[in-house]
Amino acid sequence: MKKKLLSVLLCAAMVATMAAGCGSKEEPASTPAPETKEETTEPAADAEEEKTDESQAAGGELHFEIVSKGFQHQYWQAVLKGAEQKAAELGVTMDFVGPNSESDIADQVQMLNNAVNKKPAAIGLAALDTKAALDGIQAAMDAGIPIVGFDSGVPEAPEGAVYANCATDNYAAGELAAEKTYEAIKDRIANASGTVRIGVLSQDATGESLISRGLGFIDKIGELIIADGKTVNVVGNQKFVDDSKCTKTDGADVEIEVLVPASVDSALSATDCQTLLNKADTIAIYGSNQHSAEAMVTGDENLGKFGTGEGDVIAVGFDSGAVIKAAVKDGTFLGAITQAPVAMGEAVIQTLYDIANGKTVSDIDTGCQWYTAENMEDPEIAQNLYD
Amino acid sequence: MGEVILTMKGIDKSFPGVHALDHVDLEIRKGEVHALMGENGAGKSTLMKVLTGIYSKDEGTITYEGKEVTFSNPREAQAAGVVIVHQELNMMGHLTVAQNIFIGREIMSGGIIDDKKMNEEARKLFDKLNIDIDPTETMSRLTVGKQQMCEIAKAISHDAKVIIFDEPSAALTEAEIEELFKIIRDLREKQLGIVYISHRMDEIKVITDRVTVMRDGGYVGTLITKDCTKDDIINMMVGRVIYEDPKTESTVPKDAPVVLRVEHLNAGKMVKDVSFELHKGEILGFSGLMGAGRTETARALFGADPKESGDVYVNGEKVEIKTPQDAVRCGIGYLSEDRKRFGIVVDKTVAENSTMASLERFMKGIFINKKKEDQVSQEYVEALKTKTPGVDQLVVNLSGGNQQKVVIAKWLVRNCDILIFDEPTRGIDVGAKSEIYHLMNQLVAEGKSIIMISSEMTEILRMSDRIIVMCEGRKTGELGIEEATQERIMHAATLRN
Amino acid sequence: MADNQKKGNAFTNNPIVKAVGTQKIVVVLVLIILLAFFSAASSAFRQYSTILSIMDYTYYLAFLGIGVTFCLITGGVDLSIGTGLVCYGLIGGYLITHNNIPVIVGILVTLLVGVLMGTVNGLIVSLGGLPPFLATLCTMMIARGLGSLATSGLSVNWPPTAAENGWARMLFKIEVGGVKLPIGFIWVLLFAVIMSIVLNKTKPGRYIIAIGSNKEATRLSGVNVVKYQTLAYVFSGFFTGLAAIAYANTFQALAPGTGAGMELNAIGGAIIGGTSMSGGMGSIAGTILGVFIMSVLQTGLPNIGLQANYQQIIIGMVLILAVLVDVFKNKKLA
Repeated sequence: MKKKLLSVLLCAAMVATMAAGCGSKEEPASTPAPETKEETTEPAADAEEEKTDESQAAGGELHFEIVSKGFQHQYWQAVLKGAEQKAAELGVTMDFVGPNSESDIADQVQMLNNAVNKKPAAIGLAALDTKAALDGIQAAMDAGIPIVGFDSGVPEAPEGAVYANCATDNYAAGELAAEKTYEAIKDRIANASGTVRIGVLSQDATGESLISRGLGFIDKIGELIIADGKTVNVVGNQKFVDDSKCTKTDGADVEIEVLVPASVDSALSATDCQTLLNKADTIAIYGSNQHSAEAMVTGDENLGKFGTGEGDVIAVGFDSGAVIKAAVKDGTFLGAITQAPVAMGEAVIQTLYDIANGKTVSDIDTGCQWYTAENMEDPEIAQNLYD
Repeated sequence: MGEVILTMKGIDKSFPGVHALDHVDLEIRKGEVHALMGENGAGKSTLMKVLTGIYSKDEGTITYEGKEVTFSNPREAQAAGVVIVHQELNMMGHLTVAQNIFIGREIMSGGIIDDKKMNEEARKLFDKLNIDIDPTETMSRLTVGKQQMCEIAKAISHDAKVIIFDEPSAALTEAEIEELFKIIRDLREKQLGIVYISHRMDEIKVITDRVTVMRDGGYVGTLITKDCTKDDIINMMVGRVIYEDPKTESTVPKDAPVVLRVEHLNAGKMVKDVSFELHKGEILGFSGLMGAGRTETARALFGADPKESGDVYVNGEKVEIKTPQDAVRCGIGYLSEDRKRFGIVVDKTVAENSTMASLERFMKGIFINKKKEDQVSQEYVEALKTKTPGVDQLVVNLSGGNQQKVVIAKWLVRNCDILIFDEPTRGIDVGAKSEIYHLMNQLVAEGKSIIMISSEMTEILRMSDRIIVMCEGRKTGELGIEEATQERIMHAATLRN
Repeated sequence: MADNQKKGNAFTNNPIVKAVGTQKIVVVLVLIILLAFFSAASSAFRQYSTILSIMDYTYYLAFLGIGVTFCLITGGVDLSIGTGLVCYGLIGGYLITHNNIPVIVGILVTLLVGVLMGTVNGLIVSLGGLPPFLATLCTMMIARGLGSLATSGLSVNWPPTAAENGWARMLFKIEVGGVKLPIGFIWVLLFAVIMSIVLNKTKPGRYIIAIGSNKEATRLSGVNVVKYQTLAYVFSGFFTGLAAIAYANTFQALAPGTGAGMELNAIGGAIIGGTSMSGGMGSIAGTILGVFIMSVLQTGLPNIGLQANYQQIIIGMVLILAVLVDVFKNKKLA
């Protein structure tokens, strides 16, 4: 018994030391660590309980809860940055939380419930899964707490729960990627003797934003191809095949193949990319987020088929980060889509603030941009690119 | 017998709530085989564990080669020349024979284990002991007897001066026991001191020079073996006379109906074309050497192992037994030779174990009717005279004999009319043994029928009405108790085809 | 007396078969069949870059496999190696990219964290007496949380080849005259040979096998079983660290909260290679071969047009088969 206790203590001590070690290492880093916030949260939340009603009326010390999708991608750090800037500017406080990974739906539901319990003036929510979050959303409605959706928002939320959405129109972003891709491959499709293939890599087929980005791309590029008198078919992941709107023809001139890995693992996605590159008729691949785009860079390393020259496979990515930026810069990628995460963060806080102050609000498209080796240094674009 | 090499004097050891050793004395001389006897729980193993440093003593002195010593672990004892050959085989099945013998003291050359050298050394050792084993063979591929020989060789290779054999013969065939005795006599010649722990009275008479008897953690006395009788020793062990003679005639009526008929049973390599009948009220003894296929026959009959062919008739009706559930439905209960693994759940109570095979009788809706469970269990505790403070006692706290009674109760609660006892008294002390025998006789008197598998000849001759002898998976003999003798059984048990 | 000893058939008694082991020969045959099958079924598989892709997979799986083989041989298991890989790689990579420490220090930190976690695993199992399955299931979750905590939930990229501190990637793949060479395999071979010697020819290896075969007997033989049982998990932790370095420098991106599932591929590889789930038996060479089968499947199945979910089903079935063979083998031994 003693020995068991000893080892448990030992283990706890080890974990504590490691955690402490990591914590201290972070201090010089620019990114704010979520765990430091938790300390400030508890007392603040207690105080809030009494204050909420009057503060809302007075428009004084407002507090917001932001439930994000986590911090796995640097994109979210930029959203956080925008939100923090705006919060400081407006003189409001906020808790910005998110689960460890985008598959931890249950954790996010728990975070939403906690947020509701803290009775903030309003809640910002980027739901991983609206159905799973329904109870929390209902609780917020019952408590009279307004919700503002951001990023992918809260699709199919109950009537009246969500006051406004601050989001990239992911479907439109996918369309933009399709237009830019089509420009580069238009001639090859027109001149092709047999079938050609366009690959789409998606990290998963459950998140609304990734589904929209994929479908926006597929629908648009299908539309453009059909407009030029060719036929299209969509194969691969069933979700995308079923939901894509373009007219599908068996044995078409252009085959759009959608691959989704069984789990979020760079190795699996890199293999998917290689599988596509290994097919002789592949002329372009689109990766719809940072994970997929990075896996494209890795996957191409062994094969060296991406590029913008004659006979190269066209690569189009999404989001930024050092790896993708480097790939765009050296011409491996034709280009990539970036959202405006900083603007999104700012817009969320602004909208929450407006609601708390009784203004009417409406949806905001925070926009997206196409960047290439040529324009990526432009300040307007560079501010949305992160390492 | 030479001079004294080891003396244990006034050894006292207590565990919380138990006075395990009460001032015990033991004296070992060079060149003697000294039997240490006593019922289970008498303190023999505890005493040896104190000697070899597994337990520390509370009081008393150990004098070894003229000096007072205290070994703080088995390794120290080993280094000094006091080694123990354990009852359970302490081998690492995946390693070779030589690797086993040299475990913990590998021969190294330049940081790398020198297996070649170890094989040579092991071969020399075997030659010295006249044992024919290949040191490079994987341990698990040897027979149990050979594995035991390796254990002994390992003990001797430590430059042992005192060797303790803890029930070495439990798993050996007659031939292997002979070989073991040859080695022990050889060691005695070489002036080693040998402690021999065994329950088998016959062996004690054959191999030992002196006997020290313990009872309830205390020292009873030491006798010169050749000057005393078995009864003397047993009386010292239990404090009462209980030794009984073999059965002389069957107690089964001539016209008793056949309750179980097995025809041409085949299962694996160990059960070949076995046929027999069991009558109502009969104890049918299954005799044979280790590995004769008796347990395998029982397991195949019971549905615990798959059978290839063969028909089984219960009360004249043909039945299909594919799983133990089928067997239980036919009223057959099986008491495994390995109680702890297959017979009981040690960390459950007497009541829970008793009703385990027939829980459906104790259900009240989806809940277990605890009251009824306790009541029925209590009836069987009384009927079988199980020594337990109550039916809520955990089985782990009972002695081996009483655990066995709980297993019997389990099958009786299930209303089994045919009971297979596989080594019913293995690891059970003399007193409890006689109670189990009494119980079996009582059961057949009540009309139950028993198949008893036993490796102890005396047990077979004392309990059986009829005896089936097996050898290498085949039935090689069938004897009525009136005609059965040790010699005739042994003859059949060694009949090879 | 030799007639008492169990005899094999002509095949298993062949000296070459005996030396290499039946299972390894079967695994090699299966490997050849798989390679032949994929080559026949997919033209894309029949090219040089496929070797590179298989190797990319093999590096980290092989390191995970070598480490976990030691745990399996003790009769235990280490489930924390999947999330552990991501955790250690995240910590090392985060320090390199965010705190600008030299890559070599990042590598050492990654290995050190692996060794520390391995030690924790080992002590909980050996000293604490927790079942390895349970103990490492807990540390699996701890590693997952630690990785997220250490990087504030950020995904981390180790320096790319083009970067000035991108030399670590060249430990695994270099380009000579326009041809990419999978030199990471040299490391795998090197460590496989070293650990093979450790397993078969040194005391730690011998005692790890002995513990897996019969722990109590090993203890009674005067061997410090706590020490050597712990050591098996330390090996596992160290090799998880190596695997993290291999993964980070072949696939670049590590995301917090991921990694669960990798351990099954590695454990599966070890079992396919003849290491027994019940302990006492196993070989490094077998593990490497088994891991090869896993990586050939991972690379080959997408090439014949199977969707991700089917791939997992097939790999799952292969594992069931391997475990069944293991169970059958143990029955025969008993």
